[in-house]
Amino acid sequence: MTEKITVALAGNPNVGKTSIFNAITGSKQHVGNWPGVTVERKMGKRKHKDIEMQIVDLPGTYSLTAYSLDEIIARDFIIEEKPDIVVQVIDATNLERNLYLTTQLMELGTKLIIALNMTDLALAKGDSIEVQKMQEFLEVPVISTIGSRGGGIEDLLDSITEEIHRTRTNENVFVYDGEIEKSADELGNVLADDPYYSHYPSRWFSMKLLEGDENIIKKAKESGNYPQIRKILQRTDADSFEAKIADQRYKTIQTMLRQVCNINTDHLSGSDMVDRVVTNKYLGIPIFLSLMWAAFEVTFTFATPFMNIIDIFFGWLAETASDVITISWLASLVGDGMIAGVGSVLIFLPNILLLFFMISLMEDSGYMSRAAFIMDKVMSKIGLHGKSFIPLIMGFGCNVPAIMATRTIEDSRDRLITILIAPFVSCGARLPVYVLLAGAFFGRDAGIVIFGLYALGIFVALISAKLMRSTIVKGEDTPFIMELPSYKIPTLKGSILHMWERGKIYLKKAGGIILIGVVGIWLLASIPAPGSGGTFASEEIYGTTDSMIGFIGQIIEPLVAPLGFDWKIAVALMFGVVAKEIVVGSMGVLYGVGDNEDSLTEILAAGAMTPLAGLGLMVFTLLYVPCFACIGVIKRETGSWKWTVFQLLYGTGLAWIFAFVLYQVGSRIGLFA
Amino acid sequence: MEQHYGKTEITFAALAGVLYTILGMYHIAEGIGIDIGIYEGMAGSLFIPGDILGGFCLVVTGGVFLYGFKEMMQGINAGVSFLYVGILMSLLFMMVYLLIMGGNLLDSFIVPQDYEGWSIMETFRPGIYLGILSLAGILYWKDRFSLNEVLVFREGA
Ligand SMILES: Nc1nc2c(ncn2[C@@H]2O[C@H](COP(=O)(O)OP(=O)(O)O)[C@@H](O)[C@H]2O)c(=O)[nH]1
Ligand SMILES: [Mg+2]
Repeated sequence: MTEKITVALAGNPNVGKTSIFNAITGSKQHVGNWPGVTVERKMGKRKHKDIEMQIVDLPGTYSLTAYSLDEIIARDFIIEEKPDIVVQVIDATNLERNLYLTTQLMELGTKLIIALNMTDLALAKGDSIEVQKMQEFLEVPVISTIGSRGGGIEDLLDSITEEIHRTRTNENVFVYDGEIEKSADELGNVLADDPYYSHYPSRWFSMKLLEGDENIIKKAKESGNYPQIRKILQRTDADSFEAKIADQRYKTIQTMLRQVCNINTDHLSGSDMVDRVVTNKYLGIPIFLSLMWAAFEVTFTFATPFMNIIDIFFGWLAETASDVITISWLASLVGDGMIAGVGSVLIFLPNILLLFFMISLMEDSGYMSRAAFIMDKVMSKIGLHGKSFIPLIMGFGCNVPAIMATRTIEDSRDRLITILIAPFVSCGARLPVYVLLAGAFFGRDAGIVIFGLYALGIFVALISAKLMRSTIVKGEDTPFIMELPSYKIPTLKGSILHMWERGKIYLKKAGGIILIGVVGIWLLASIPAPGSGGTFASEEIYGTTDSMIGFIGQIIEPLVAPLGFDWKIAVALMFGVVAKEIVVGSMGVLYGVGDNEDSLTEILAAGAMTPLAGLGLMVFTLLYVPCFACIGVIKRETGSWKWTVFQLLYGTGLAWIFAFVLYQVGSRIGLFA
Repeated sequence: MEQHYGKTEITFAALAGVLYTILGMYHIAEGIGIDIGIYEGMAGSLFIPGDILGGFCLVVTGGVFLYGFKEMMQGINAGVSFLYVGILMSLLFMMVYLLIMGGNLLDSFIVPQDYEGWSIMETFRPGIYLGILSLAGILYWKDRFSLNEVLVFREGA
């Protein structure tokens, strides 16, 4: 008979939980260096020695207090859903910090196993750890693992199956000073009187009450004998208790560490040396900027040949389609609509993939957390801190995962601001619009223009944060600790996988929502406008003012006319709300790329639009309403329509003002004329 | 405490620092349109384009080397970190420039009509020939860089 158990993987961020999760379950998942990628609960299955294990990858946490969403998710899972066993993954190169969480997990009284991960790194640093001694000291099994290469996973599974049948709990391993113990005992007696608490590990519950944990106090308030509890708590000082408890935990850990390991301190590790340089007061930010430049430069120049290949392929495809399909409206739908539309989006796939690949390299090597660290000073000027910077950088790929990554931010107001400004970070979907327009109008300077747009996005994000911080979302600075994981040489496989995870989203969009979008646009471009008397899908009306699309476009044109945009742009922007790449796809339809030998770039460069309006369009696309997917995630993460609508109006308002000023002032002073 | 570097390290940092900084500034000057050449066509013969951002990157690399030079002169052991990281950065930029060259070459096969009269040397950059210095450095100090799984620098000298 097979037995079914639940195993939870807990641990600090970046210790290798997901790597171990993947090694156990064999599922293909994102393996990265990103503090906070594991925000959602990942589940997987594994059968070992007739035991069916359900594995849960918990969010990374430093402790089990109630300071961040991640911590609450992790601890609620352990307390409420009571997994049969908790495996804490520990970074062997950073034992002290990691064991702090161990002390808390032990008090929870769950069965615990320690996976001592990154042992390869510890070895490389010259540390030695006596696993046997550590095991005796902690009274829990300790298994050495190398998560990234699947080392020690079988031992870990064996240990889980053994431990599951052993009866033992680890409550009371830590004894605190007299006063704390006395109050904890008293609380324990009160808790024992009310069956309401039987669900919770009593010692842990008492300690949390003494530490003044708000989340736990709220739970206690629901019980009948809360008045008694309150009486005991009123005698104690939560702040000083909290500090004392933490202090004693650290002391115990240090005592143990002195006995079980020999940490090599007589040389600076490679990571320390690199950190000295890349976090240097003067050089840190310039180094970061130059690395970003390198990433963009490679993205743009190296992608060109591949873009040309795709371009040639779609040109051939459109031609073949129009040769093969004899029904003229169908040929137009397939050629002008689907192939031209999807093609003008897919052509940017090399760009997007290369950029994601570069970002993956920075993340996987561990550099990205340094970038956040050095940006902390800049960020604190606008009232946020380095932690908000990580999601923002991630936004260069896609704003949706970026907004989800804000869950690691403890302070709810910091988090709200970060969510609201994240859409200003220029995501991969906006890149096609820039590449098209900058390429058409600015030729050799396209790189600088695009770089400038990215910079503008960041600038607007930062200024907006400052504005919101000092007006509608006031709040105090909260101190924080940021861990810098050891540097690693990223593996090609890992980074490619990582790139693919994100690139896939782009491809799926091209095949799904974008295809639907361009077909919709084709339909509107083919249906005659009311009263125009044209015939459906005839060449005479296609994409002109005699078509439905022209009709709609002319209605909304006055809204954007002061920005130098005509009705075609108005329509493209309208459809761009579905996904910003569609701005390009629909321009492809509206300017008739399918019919024409000339590509969209050449048509634009030949005067379909002025360079100034082109620049304005890029700025507008950068700042206005984010895409559907992004709107959805803003709503979900803020839990409020009010803030979601605020973001949309704020962004679109800014976009309009920027483009307006640019166009009006620019055309008066003769900019790019 | 034992010293972790010697004259070679100091000289290397100074030389690389000066070369990267000067050539980087030359890029920027060309980009802005100021001619600082000593003789006619100097920028061309050194393959220096007008490139403000690229120049900035070279200056930053030079800055890292010079900072290491300064610290090593002051007898700070960890100053050698700047030398190692400077070498890694310059190799990274060398790779970036080589990739750009490769990308252009590839493109010239795919759309030859856009590349009439073009020569691959048009994309040759100082970032590449300066990188040769760092390549020599990393070979000379190769036992101090170990690049498997984790980046470890070992002490030497
Ligand atoms: N050298 C080494 N790297 C590891 C090990 N385990 C995980 N990693 C790497 O550490 C990084 C973070 O791992 P991840 O599983 O995402 O950590 P999580 O945040 O705890 O889920 C990834 O780049 C992994 O490839 C290990 O045992 N040794
Ligand atoms: Mg993870």
